Amino acid sequence: MLDQNIAREVLQEAVRTGGDFAEIFVEDRIDNSLVMRSHRIETVNTGRIHGAGVRVFSGVNAVYVHTNDTSREGLMACARQAAAAIKGGSGCIVQPFHAWNAARPEEILLLPTDVKAALKAEKLHAAEAAARAVSPEIVQVMASYIDHVQDVCICNTEGVFVTDRRVRTRLSVNAIASNGTENQTGSDNPGASMGFEIFDHLIDPENVGRTAANQAVTMLHAPICPAGYMPVVIDNGFGGVIFHEACGHSLEATSVSVGVSEFSGKLGQQIASPVVTAIDDGTIVNSWGMLHVDDEGTPTQRTVLVENGILRNYMIDRLGARRMGMPITGSSRRQSYAFAPTSRMRSTFIAPGQDDEAEMIATMGDGLYAKKMGGGSVNPATGEFNFAVNEGYLVKDGKIAHPVRGASLIGRGSEVLLKIDRVGRDLQLAQGMCGSISGSVPTDVGQPMIRVSGLTVGGR
Amino acid sequence: MDMNLFIDRVLAAAKAAGIETAEVYCVTGENFRASAMDGEINQYQVSASAGLSLRGTVQGKMGYSATQAFDEAAITQLVEGVKESAALVETKEQDEIFQGDESYPELPEEESDLKDVTPEQKLEMCLAMEKAAKDADPRIWKVQRAMVSTSSSTVTIRNSYGLNLTDSGTMCMAYAAPIAKEGDKTATGGWMATGFRFADLNPVAIGVKAAEETVCQLGGSPVPGGEYRIILRFDAMQSLLQTFCGIFSAENAQQNMSLLGGKEGTVIGSPAVTLMDDPLLPGGHGSQRFDAEGSASRTKAVIDAGVLTTLLHSRKTARKQGVASTGNASRASYTAPVRVAPTNLYFKAGEKSLEALMADVGEGLVITDLAGLHSGANPTSGDFSLLSKGYTIEGGQRGRAVEQITIAGNFYEVLKNIVAFADDLDFSMGSIVSPSVDIGTLKVSG
Repeated sequence: MLDQNIAREVLQEAVRTGGDFAEIFVEDRIDNSLVMRSHRIETVNTGRIHGAGVRVFSGVNAVYVHTNDTSREGLMACARQAAAAIKGGSGCIVQPFHAWNAARPEEILLLPTDVKAALKAEKLHAAEAAARAVSPEIVQVMASYIDHVQDVCICNTEGVFVTDRRVRTRLSVNAIASNGTENQTGSDNPGASMGFEIFDHLIDPENVGRTAANQAVTMLHAPICPAGYMPVVIDNGFGGVIFHEACGHSLEATSVSVGVSEFSGKLGQQIASPVVTAIDDGTIVNSWGMLHVDDEGTPTQRTVLVENGILRNYMIDRLGARRMGMPITGSSRRQSYAFAPTSRMRSTFIAPGQDDEAEMIATMGDGLYAKKMGGGSVNPATGEFNFAVNEGYLVKDGKIAHPVRGASLIGRGSEVLLKIDRVGRDLQLAQGMCGSISGSVPTDVGQPMIRVSGLTVGGR
Repeated sequence: MDMNLFIDRVLAAAKAAGIETAEVYCVTGENFRASAMDGEINQYQVSASAGLSLRGTVQGKMGYSATQAFDEAAITQLVEGVKESAALVETKEQDEIFQGDESYPELPEEESDLKDVTPEQKLEMCLAMEKAAKDADPRIWKVQRAMVSTSSSTVTIRNSYGLNLTDSGTMCMAYAAPIAKEGDKTATGGWMATGFRFADLNPVAIGVKAAEETVCQLGGSPVPGGEYRIILRFDAMQSLLQTFCGIFSAENAQQNMSLLGGKEGTVIGSPAVTLMDDPLLPGGHGSQRFDAEGSASRTKAVIDAGVLTTLLHSRKTARKQGVASTGNASRASYTAPVRVAPTNLYFKAGEKSLEALMADVGEGLVITDLAGLHSGANPTSGDFSLLSKGYTIEGGQRGRAVEQITIAGNFYEVLKNIVAFADDLDFSMGSIVSPSVDIGTLKVSG
């Protein structure tokens, strides 16, 4: 998708004014989506994303120019614009390319672009029917199917010239339960770096529909969560969003390298309870957050962030590495060519521990059992995080009493990590879309069941 | 390739392939964004982009397809994509391409100065803004973002009936986000300003205001949990309205995703509440001559003194309900299907200043920032439970900084409990805006 001679010419132009590094990212991507609502397939959409970006560094200054025009002229125009914005520098020589293909076609059995949309629609029908069957209180089901095949070519002045293909498929069901005066929602959204074979191996659409509908009905009959400070047990899978928000974002070079993260300068220090080991891993085959090479063309890796409570590493991209004087971790990502890449999470999880799940709840006294978490956000400079509990249960005297709705959890990352006093054994990953300055990228969150000795629970 | 020629060829190919009626929706634009940190430009991004979508009917059913590539393969993909898509759509309501209204309103011509502004001037503005924020207070430790962005975009709708509509706009934005430190305490804040003219942006004023907004958060702490009288400052109410504005969509109501279906003509808010949707607002961020289906824009009250007067409609939702479109068909991007969205949506301002509202309240909280709206607020149920920042009101006056609390409530109930809006409505803050508002009592956890 990119001629090596043109690439060389464009890179040379990009560093002509003194840039000491330049990179080209070319992307051609097909997105398919089907949405079903009110019993019927409502929209079927196919889109093609096509464009390229040229990035130039001079020291720690970076310039990024992108375009839809991937012809030689279009790329040269980007290079010229980028070079014009670079004010001097040591310059560099374009190294000979080591061209290779990082794609692993053997990981994908049924390329989604080869599958008729009618077959995709069948999966939505199955999911929606199962959701509706759960209860007459289910008044709406929105089911959506998405897939994408993204072809990229990444090359730079250091001789990287790599092509890759990324394939992902996901099913998502949102159900609404209503009693006429109140609405409550439930959802389930599994996905993977797989093709249409995902429905043979991983996803049962009916199960997804039922999970979403059961959650909505449970929450419709749940009283509002009381507010207060209490111990919280967070279940496995999407519960891992607590580490993602409370700690993960603050370990990205984006904030660490400029000293604004609360974890800046804390390598080797105890930042979490000794029961916590946390990993950001791009190498889990077929996982939603996996990569072959990152969006700077670096082979991905498994990065141990926290080991027995001690901070071991950050997630570091090329620009962050220059600022921090540390090696890159193969986790530089972007939503598309329309974003300059930066350090992001891949599949991020708390590793399995030794603790018994039943004991955790039995010994917690009065508190909250957060079975299914929603999304959240964090301010890396202060560590203040918040996230929603989509399905929660009040625990009284070590026993699960009844469901509660509308709860949120808030706190500071540095504090909550030290308050994790139990880590269970059954690790599960769950899929999400993570938004940050380089756009929205697919990431896994994950953990076994954990317990936090105290958190502020927002409610009414 | 010339975009108009490409559109000609797409429409011709659609007709040849048996697509009965077809429409091209095309967005082109240019963007510039730069940011400064520690006296240097650390981010610099420039782009030119174009995206085009074809939608069309086959046997009365609407198919969609989109592209950013403008080659032969793209024309085939667009046409085949629409046909495959239309064949699968199962909705009963007929969807259609619109022939067009008889006339379209004109918006006052905004004289943009963007073409005369050099990249250097924009970089200088970043640096000046950063410096102003740092100089404003010794406790400003760093400015994590001092960003200037400018954009221009053009929307074109052309269809097989010969409708040909174009709208262009430009926008300049500057934003500073300092970090303040004092002892072991850290606080973040920010301030943003926008304008159609680059010359309208005042980097020093933005930097100074951003520093003020940040430093005043230092030393904040929670308040004890309980019921509190709450004023949402204009920016906090803005983010709440942005999150919940979907409840006014007729599409959501028809799909049981809003509780306002069939509530037209009934009281859904306190008498203090009048909510306007005004696409013709001079200088509004969401101003437009026509909507995403090609309907002419018009101004309407959504809530008038507490009474729901209308939901927002596209032609499709209006047909289903036997009413006229309100001109609120919208596409989130050129790839997105036509849905319903507000244009310039705002609560009408009251007569008192924020300070006067605080004096009326006596004891309570002013909330200046709500975090985690994408997860802690449920647009379908109306429930929210959100991490909040602000300050106390003590004896009618501003008290101490407050952080690490949540406020929890339900948006439908908030509408009914609104006591009064302040007079500080500012259309430069975005397309969905609100004055500060006294919303009565809410549960706070701290």
